[in-house]
Amino acid sequence: MNFACLYIADFPVQAVVRGEPALRGRAVTLVEPEPPPCRVFALNKAARQAGVEIGMSRVEAALLPEVAVRPRSPAAEASAHAALLDLARSFTPRFEDVAADTVVLDLGGLEALLGPAAQVACRLAAQARELGLEARVALAPHPDAARLAARGFAGITLIGEGEEADRLGSLPVETLDPSPEMQETLARWGIHTCGALAALPSAALAERLGQEGVRLQTLARGGALRALVPAEEPLHFEEAIDLEYPVGEIEPLAFILSRLLHPLCARLAARGRATQELRLALDVDVHEDRQVEEGNWKVENRNSKIEIRSPESGLFSNPESRLLRLPVPTCDPRLLLKLWLFDLEAHPPSAPVFKVALTAEPARPRVAQGDLFLPRAPDPQKLELTLARLRGVVGEGKAGSPELLDTHRPDAFRMRKFVGTDDAKVEGRKSKVESRKSKTSPSKTHPGFRLSNFDCRTSRLTLRLFRPPLAARVEVRDGRLVRVEGRVRGRVLWASGPWRTSGDWWTGRPWNCAAWDVELLVPRARSVARAESVRCYRLCRDLTDGQWFVGGFYD
Amino acid sequence: MYAELHTRSSFSFLEGASLPEDLVARARELGLAAVALLDRDGVYGAPRFHGAAQKAELRVHVGAEVTSADGLRYPLLAASRTGYQNLCRLITRMKLRAPKGEGAATEADLAEHAAGLICLAGAEDRNPKIESRVSNFEFRTSSFESRLCWLCEIFGRQNVYVELQRHFDRREEARNQRAVEAACALRLPLVATNGVCYATPAEREIADVFTALRHYRTLETAGRLLASNAERHLKPPAEMERLFADLPEAVANTLELSARLEFTLRDLGYQFPPYPIPEGETQISFLRRRTAEGAVGRYGDGNGRAARQLERELALIEKLHLEGYFLIVWDIVRYCRQQGILVQGRGSAANSAVCYALGITAVDPVGMDLLFERFLSEERGEWPDIDLDLPSGDQRERVIQYIYERYGQRGAAMTANVITYRGRSAAREVGKVLGFDAETLGRLTSLVSAWEYRDPSDTLERHFRDAGFDLEQARIRKFLELTRALQDLPRHLGQHSGGLVICQGQLDAVVPLEPATMPGRVVVQWDKDDCASLGMIKVDLLGLGMMAVLEDSIRLIRDHYREEVDLAHLPADDPEVYAALQKADTVGLFQVESRAQMSCLPRLRPERFYDLVVEVAIIRPGPIVGNMVHPYLRRRQGCEAVTYPHPSLEPVLRRTLGVPLFQEQLLRMAMIAAGFTGGAAEDLRRAMGFKRSEKRMKEIEQKLRLGMERQGIAAKAQEEIIQSISAFALYGFPESHAASFALIAYASAYLRCHYLAAFTAALLNNQPMGFYHPSTIVKDAARHGLRLQPVDVTRSDWPCTLEPCVDAPHPIALRLGFGYVRGMREEAARAMVRERARQPFGSIDDLVRRVPGLRKDELVTLAEIGALNFVPGSCPSAAPTNQTAGSKAGRAAQHRHRRDALWQVERAARPAGPLLERLEDRESGIESRKSKIEDRDSKVDTDSPLAPMTPEERLVADFHGTGLTVGPHPLAYRRAELEALGVKPARALARLASGQKVRVAGAVIVRQRPGTAKGFVFLSLEDETGIANAIVTPDLFQQYRVLIIREPFLLVKGTLQNQGGVISVKAEQLCPLTMSRAPVTSHDFY
Repeated sequence: MNFACLYIADFPVQAVVRGEPALRGRAVTLVEPEPPPCRVFALNKAARQAGVEIGMSRVEAALLPEVAVRPRSPAAEASAHAALLDLARSFTPRFEDVAADTVVLDLGGLEALLGPAAQVACRLAAQARELGLEARVALAPHPDAARLAARGFAGITLIGEGEEADRLGSLPVETLDPSPEMQETLARWGIHTCGALAALPSAALAERLGQEGVRLQTLARGGALRALVPAEEPLHFEEAIDLEYPVGEIEPLAFILSRLLHPLCARLAARGRATQELRLALDVDVHEDRQVEEGNWKVENRNSKIEIRSPESGLFSNPESRLLRLPVPTCDPRLLLKLWLFDLEAHPPSAPVFKVALTAEPARPRVAQGDLFLPRAPDPQKLELTLARLRGVVGEGKAGSPELLDTHRPDAFRMRKFVGTDDAKVEGRKSKVESRKSKTSPSKTHPGFRLSNFDCRTSRLTLRLFRPPLAARVEVRDGRLVRVEGRVRGRVLWASGPWRTSGDWWTGRPWNCAAWDVELLVPRARSVARAESVRCYRLCRDLTDGQWFVGGFYD
Repeated sequence: MYAELHTRSSFSFLEGASLPEDLVARARELGLAAVALLDRDGVYGAPRFHGAAQKAELRVHVGAEVTSADGLRYPLLAASRTGYQNLCRLITRMKLRAPKGEGAATEADLAEHAAGLICLAGAEDRNPKIESRVSNFEFRTSSFESRLCWLCEIFGRQNVYVELQRHFDRREEARNQRAVEAACALRLPLVATNGVCYATPAEREIADVFTALRHYRTLETAGRLLASNAERHLKPPAEMERLFADLPEAVANTLELSARLEFTLRDLGYQFPPYPIPEGETQISFLRRRTAEGAVGRYGDGNGRAARQLERELALIEKLHLEGYFLIVWDIVRYCRQQGILVQGRGSAANSAVCYALGITAVDPVGMDLLFERFLSEERGEWPDIDLDLPSGDQRERVIQYIYERYGQRGAAMTANVITYRGRSAAREVGKVLGFDAETLGRLTSLVSAWEYRDPSDTLERHFRDAGFDLEQARIRKFLELTRALQDLPRHLGQHSGGLVICQGQLDAVVPLEPATMPGRVVVQWDKDDCASLGMIKVDLLGLGMMAVLEDSIRLIRDHYREEVDLAHLPADDPEVYAALQKADTVGLFQVESRAQMSCLPRLRPERFYDLVVEVAIIRPGPIVGNMVHPYLRRRQGCEAVTYPHPSLEPVLRRTLGVPLFQEQLLRMAMIAAGFTGGAAEDLRRAMGFKRSEKRMKEIEQKLRLGMERQGIAAKAQEEIIQSISAFALYGFPESHAASFALIAYASAYLRCHYLAAFTAALLNNQPMGFYHPSTIVKDAARHGLRLQPVDVTRSDWPCTLEPCVDAPHPIALRLGFGYVRGMREEAARAMVRERARQPFGSIDDLVRRVPGLRKDELVTLAEIGALNFVPGSCPSAAPTNQTAGSKAGRAAQHRHRRDALWQVERAARPAGPLLERLEDRESGIESRKSKIEDRDSKVDTDSPLAPMTPEERLVADFHGTGLTVGPHPLAYRRAELEALGVKPARALARLASGQKVRVAGAVIVRQRPGTAKGFVFLSLEDETGIANAIVTPDLFQQYRVLIIREPFLLVKGTLQNQGGVISVKAEQLCPLTMSRAPVTSHDFY
């Protein structure tokens, strides 16, 4: 009995129950977390007995009074899985992470240390229970036999050398995880248990089901098919520091960041990696019950991590931490430090910091060769630095490449991240492929500063838009525009319009506006010789609330 | 004043959002002088537009937007009949030379068909499919001018107008300025239109949904493909005048142009073709001669009443110039007879003695005293409607092709069938454009209830809430709104199942023709109602499954019973037939097999043919809604006295015991009681039909009352008569139609009683049809003593066949065909039958080698259902033939059970691989290889290690592989357990007292929630002894909803009700039963 397997039945349910012990012993059903398709995703034995089925709607499941319905929690599952791996690691460094709910341990040579098999099994089960998981434990001479026994039998199962076939014989063939076609064939043959499959003549079986059939039969007979595949230590790069005194200034924080970045980058380099994504978590010193909300940083209470609230959610992948995303992977600590400083200057922490943690997502370092016949493009790392500087000056989401949106909504555009020449080439290639795929679609990607396919032939004048548009008061007499008051003011000499646009009626934010092109007789400052001048403006009216604006002027 | 001369309806399929009727109503409301409908590449909506306009007294014009090969669309208006005919021919030409849904006119086409048409040039409208090929000519004045010149050459300078539209769009206004300049330069008139796509601004949302659907986008990604605003609606004259205040002549010209458009659909120019007659004959003389010949056969020589009726009908036919029509239908019927195709006229044609004499119908209207006016009347001014029932499938297609050949490709065409957005299709499309993912879409769509009956709480809103959808969400709310708004809007044009229009000369001059999806078929752009409303004669060639069953039965009887059956001369009043009908033993019979019919038959107890006519007609919404069923049945059982609303109505209502059941009776009541003429009475029926108008109803009621006053009928009787007429007219069934159906019902019952094997085989070979699943039909036949044999590769053919059987009560057994094997391809099955005829199969390997086209999944299914169990000795009929007996191959075929075959199939279907095959070939040559394989076969066969299937496994395999079983019913295996539970078999219920508490159980074969049953649900539970009916109250249904809909087997506890032999269980409690894993199917009528 060299191998042990721990299997957590109804793993998603147990993971949730682990975090909510009041549910222990109750019928629990998990539904998919994202509405609207609220369907039963997983359930435990008690819920099954209560009449719940996989695929039932949340409403149907909730009709059964004794059943607790909870959303599925990937976070709880990840944490339960990590706990399972920790448990395995505490027994032996040689273990296989088979699935989220299954782990196989190599106990070879550990008898003297851990005691007899039955004792080890009991200890495994007991420790799992301490972690909040009810585990099935099986010990067998082979990893697969142990795995099958753990999945097939409740409680603790001990299978001795040579007993495998007998003990596994009663298990249903589904335990072997056959392919759907294979399962169908076996069902047609009336082969429902491992024992029945094991009893079939091997040569005839091979003639009919091929190697897959032989593999399943060997498994059913408890035969050894493979060696254990030990779990690898994950590539995890994190550096953290607890400060003796909270730091409230950017400069000392920069010093601390530098101290973290250098070893982090050295570790990355040592493993032949660089990073394209860095996360910064700061614990801040905030008094109890104090809630500060300032700029983009929102602090809930003392010792909490900083939660980011950003108008441009695209900049952050996780709202609980600050994320720095780079155009190319790097492990240059000086570059990274500068980028963090720009970021921190733009978004300083709201309170003194007493703990700093940096996590790097490892990536393969960039290997690039310049083009012989093209001028050298700016170094993407330097470009990123420059852009970060610009963003620091003008603000997030205000530096980049403008892109017109495919809509009738006036002045609809968004700022895309600026991409350098090399990347623009790649983007350009991508966009060509996309446009080939959908010929009728207007182009969506515009590398560099190129504008979209806006048809310039119709425009003879240049329209300069006010951003934001200027509020105005407009005098209308008998349906005609007479006078405009506000920052732009003057008598309307001539008006063309209205040009009406409306849309997005299927969303919660429909728009409906009218625009006029007007010629205004604008009074000039006294110092100018001529008292008045004529200028062309675009006058807009939001038809939902009746507000007037001067949208821009023509020159 | 202003006339809107450019309007698209929803018949522009995804380019217009309002129905023609709604456009007319809105135009009337706004006070427009006239409206022209220009649908895209067709006049699809024109009849409905014309019909609505006539009612609204609005002037309307016809035209179309014609797509040209250069990608532009030319709005063309028909100024005269010639123009309309040219437009139809132009569209027909471009449509017929391109695949369905495509087609564009060339310059030559336009030039050839320009006469009588007026072209509106200028506004931007182009076909997006070919848009990319066209340059933006409208931005270059010179090109636009040159195109205008070209249009002037084609249509004539006086027939080209420069069209201006103003939708508050800058670019459009720039185009308008160029158009005005060009019009001034060429001195062409301007005309203002609004390019209308919907009646009201609110419908812009539907137009946007359609645009997204047309471009396979979601609303989110459609971007600038969507309209920039909601201005393409019908606008009042004042607004149009204000919009074109700078160009008043453009608005004024709309009236001038409207005045020039003389053509309306009243002036269609349709003519029915004359029948080709011999020299020296006229149409009427030829018809008289044929009628007289037929009448001798039908009535003999001395039937004066028939002769008078015939003369009366012929005189009217001559007066209305309908001789050609009757002769053409006669010709079709004659062709069918010559070709041995069963044919029978149905519907109101059965009211005509001429139709009866010509052999078009099989019901004697004189003998049955049917009312001719229901079929044809002078006052009505409508063409008669003759429907011919033909066997569905190839036979009907042959008749259709005959008509095409006889009248030419442009002389006959199928009528269209407008497919509209219904609950689920609307939900699916709306969900798609709103960008719901596939799973959400599936769930949302499934929430659109398909039950026929809906209780007040059965609302979409409630279903949405129950399913966890938040109606506060904007998108979900929009989904609901749009799904509702899309209801009944046209989606695309299909082909009507049997409506054919025939025309004198060229049909394409009357209505554009299009290619149908089915090769060789051409359809007109109008559906049958539109054709009828415009006075076009159509012949309905309806495929009737039961006709095919009767035809197949006659052939099988001829081949296996060695008897010739003539349906026209079946023994009348056969006691066996009526005994079966009285017992409601009617599974598989035409028209009388439904649960409702079965519950009526024991009470009505038909004893003669007319009772069957009543039976066919009585279980209809009309009599049910009009509360006629119970009075009639009570009177028939003698529980209630027979009375009449007025003594004068006794001759009319005597046959139906004083209760009006047929439309003809309604007409006669109006004729006798109120002195209506036949035509006026038919008008009354129509006015009270589906599209009732309050005003018209009042007028008719007034007229009826006046008539009855004149006849001296008392006020109370008047009220009773009016009540019964108005309640009944909506859904009433014509007596002639019921009689035609009753004839087929009688024939089906006769064949089933006397030739059960042939009838059942024919019924199974023509599925799907009728009320029951084949598994129910098979079980019912078995209960009547028919031996049913399973599918067997040594015996079966593609269809079900008959074979002799010596040890069963019935001398002929039925062999299931390969057609019932799920996933089996016909060509593979036919190849197997051909190869088997050459030499019987020696083993499964032999079968696999000789029929290489068989796929592994087909072989597996055959093995699974026992079709490969050709074991000599186990079934006498499957004994090995002389060729195989005693040979190695014969011994190899010693399969004992289905799993032996499965074990073999798995190996036989796995190729040995090229390496081993070559090795064998090289070593021993073909012959020795064969013997090696046979040796291997026999060795492996005897080594099969698999256990035989249990009865339950066989049952599951049968249902899985064929959808039915010829073995015992699933409940038969569990009868002992069921008895222990106190469950009574279905057959035993008749012996129990009414009111007793009982438990019944069975496979749910029918679930029904009829619209007329106020929320009650009817379940049919089948066990091995028969079918039990359970009635579920609405409250109980709500309680057990999921159980009733999902569970294949149910146990029902309740009270037995035996009302005059009609047995049912009023359910009080329902439980699911775990009987079998067999996938039993039911026919559900929600």
